[in-house]
Amino acid sequence: MLKLEHISKTYGNKNEKAVDDVSFEVYPGEIFGFVGPNGAGKTTTIKMIVSLLAPNSGKITINGIDNQNDILAAKKQFSYVPDSPELFEKIKGIEYLKFMADVYQVPAVERQERIEKYLDIFEIKDAVNDPIGSFSHGMKQKLALVGALIHDPQVFILDEPMVGLDPKASFELKKIMRDHCDRGRSVFFSTHVLDVAEKICDRIAIIKKGKIIEVGTMAEIREKAGSQESLENIFLELTE
Amino acid sequence: MKEIVNLTKLFINESLGLSLFFYNQKFNKKEFYKQLFTLIIVPVALIPAFFMYVSLMSATYFGLTMINQTSVFLSIGYIMATVLIIVFGVMYILSEFYFSDNIEELIPLPIGQRKLIVAKFLSILVFEYIFAAFIFGPILIIYGVGQGMGLLYVLLSFLVFLTIPVLPLSLMTALIMLMMQSASLKGRKDMLQIVFVFIGLVVIFGVQFWFTGQLGNGDEMDFQQLMNTMLTNNEGILNIIGYVMPSSFLMAWALNKITLMSFVWVGALLGITLLAGAVMVAIGERVYLKSIVSGKTIKKGKQLSGAQRSKALGKKSHGAMAVFTMDLRLLLRTPVYFFNNVSVVIIAPLCILLSVSFIEIPPEDLQGMQEFFRAMPLLINYLLIAFFIFFGGTSATTASTFSREGKASWLTRMIPVTARDQVLGRTGVAILIQSLGIVFTIIAVQLIFPLPLSILLLTVVLGILGSLPILLFGLFMDMNRPLLNWDNPQKAIKNNMNVVITLFVGMAYTGLLIGISGLLGYFVNALLGYGLFVLISLVISAIFYKVINNRLEAEFLNFE
Repeated sequence: MLKLEHISKTYGNKNEKAVDDVSFEVYPGEIFGFVGPNGAGKTTTIKMIVSLLAPNSGKITINGIDNQNDILAAKKQFSYVPDSPELFEKIKGIEYLKFMADVYQVPAVERQERIEKYLDIFEIKDAVNDPIGSFSHGMKQKLALVGALIHDPQVFILDEPMVGLDPKASFELKKIMRDHCDRGRSVFFSTHVLDVAEKICDRIAIIKKGKIIEVGTMAEIREKAGSQESLENIFLELTE
Repeated sequence: MKEIVNLTKLFINESLGLSLFFYNQKFNKKEFYKQLFTLIIVPVALIPAFFMYVSLMSATYFGLTMINQTSVFLSIGYIMATVLIIVFGVMYILSEFYFSDNIEELIPLPIGQRKLIVAKFLSILVFEYIFAAFIFGPILIIYGVGQGMGLLYVLLSFLVFLTIPVLPLSLMTALIMLMMQSASLKGRKDMLQIVFVFIGLVVIFGVQFWFTGQLGNGDEMDFQQLMNTMLTNNEGILNIIGYVMPSSFLMAWALNKITLMSFVWVGALLGITLLAGAVMVAIGERVYLKSIVSGKTIKKGKQLSGAQRSKALGKKSHGAMAVFTMDLRLLLRTPVYFFNNVSVVIIAPLCILLSVSFIEIPPEDLQGMQEFFRAMPLLINYLLIAFFIFFGGTSATTASTFSREGKASWLTRMIPVTARDQVLGRTGVAILIQSLGIVFTIIAVQLIFPLPLSILLLTVVLGILGSLPILLFGLFMDMNRPLLNWDNPQKAIKNNMNVVITLFVGMAYTGLLIGISGLLGYFVNALLGYGLFVLISLVISAIFYKVINNRLEAEFLNFE
């Protein structure tokens, strides 16, 4: 469903690659976790997947569509919530949601059903007519999540989704991610919260200094590491 | 004092993006050379204009020598510099004191309010001194050289120069702080800011036109006497100017002839300037942070019922319409964008209306003008077309369309909207704003010269068509090098070279388009002239549209 083949990225005139020959695949019905230390290249990789950055080399396909050759068709396959969703501050929440529904061409009935459902789940129904500028960080994140779920994307991509969310919203998001995958779609997300990754991910990739150093299920990663310890301990050993 | 200096340095660094500039020098050469190119090309491009200005001022000085009015020279320069400092300073004051995000980070720190106010004011002052040096500096030098002044003149004129931006900016800052306090306290900060600044502008223009009207309406005998006094008495015009701006008296008395009293006058000017600064700081200490804190309370909307939410979400709209609506909302709801992009279409026709209201044109003169234009329909048509293009070309709406989104631009780049819809939506907003200006202008013009519907239709269509290449050029520029990394929306417009380049290219293009088609219309055939106008506009628009359509998706990948 999401395939990266030999992706590399260098910023400016730095010799060091931010992302270096990264390859992995996310299968249908799978929650895929992407973990790594700060500055390892997680956000850069995600930005290349969601067409915010162009890779220097390599190929990314989303639902079989090359995101560099047919950008628009690729964009219709996913939705993305960044780690710190900067939204248009002067716009009301409801106006933002209408905008998202319009650009993804979601029919009237479906947009209303989905928005009502997710506004209820994230408990921001009462604030949806307020300007986004008045929202807290967590509320902005919730609104961005609702906006991203409006078109029921094939691949749901999130960068550090748990940061800023309250415990209930975190719990609900994890449920939504699972439901999404149970319907044959995929979720790809980066996180620093290794407990979450260990509990909800079907597979995990660990990135360090721009290179993938491990990919697989928790069992596979444990086997390769030759340890039955938690992901946190394995991660610390691998990234030291 | 050290804290104030450090804060001032910090604000200047932030305004100019110096840290990023030096970072790019080491790690991002491409971006560094782009910035360096801008830093070099802008002053170089202004050199001819500066020389023209100096030549004009020299000619004015010699002209005044002929009519024995040299002392007026310094006063004219003083007033000109002060007015320009006020005009450009208003947005800088609003921007530094109210629209900049740094205040949120500074409020929790243990820094005295007075230090914050002084440092912010000083950071504005640094830029205004550079500006004043180019405007008032040549005037002081031309006068000094022309009058063969000595070292004392140099010393005193330097002291006068020091006061030049401080006095008007202190008073403007104090006034703005008082206005913003009222705006912030009412909850609807953005809307009130817009309303208040418009009231201010209307008052300024109103007074200006009333004053001009009073001069123009004086009976002929008095006017003749006034002219005689002015031509025979070196202080004649000086007195009139002095009534408009009293501090110019002190400056003129101090510098026109250097005597012992000059020191007294300069001392008085310095005293008044310091007093104005102290008043500004005192007012600031009472209202500034209070209004910032209360201004952060954004008025919330009403809670919506299920039916109301359903209505607000509406039916499926076209992608272009979604982009159009979002761009328009951002433009209308962000005061800085509103002032920079929308206000001109209201202010320019307003000036026409006010001038008509306050300046009485004698009926015979009006009739004469109408007859002249009836005899030269081509002239009035092209004048109107040029005015309508002006609204499109100067509003900077498309030239800052991506820049205005700043850090939220990831959304625009991520959504599956075609390049065609992006162009339609964003250009549509610019045309809508331009149309507002056109409507207001037509109303104002109809009050002076009632024009037939056919001419109005022709000029409106050609005005919009003629501005289309400029709008698309602006979009093309902002697509190629958007200014997204800002902490203050003011920077998206004022620090954006796309806006400046589009303005200059747009003016040159308008001149050429109207010149060529107008000459063809005048010397060969009016219809041929209009035909050429349409053809050029359509061809250039089509070229830009094609380029944007092909490149936009790829350019979105280069925004970071």
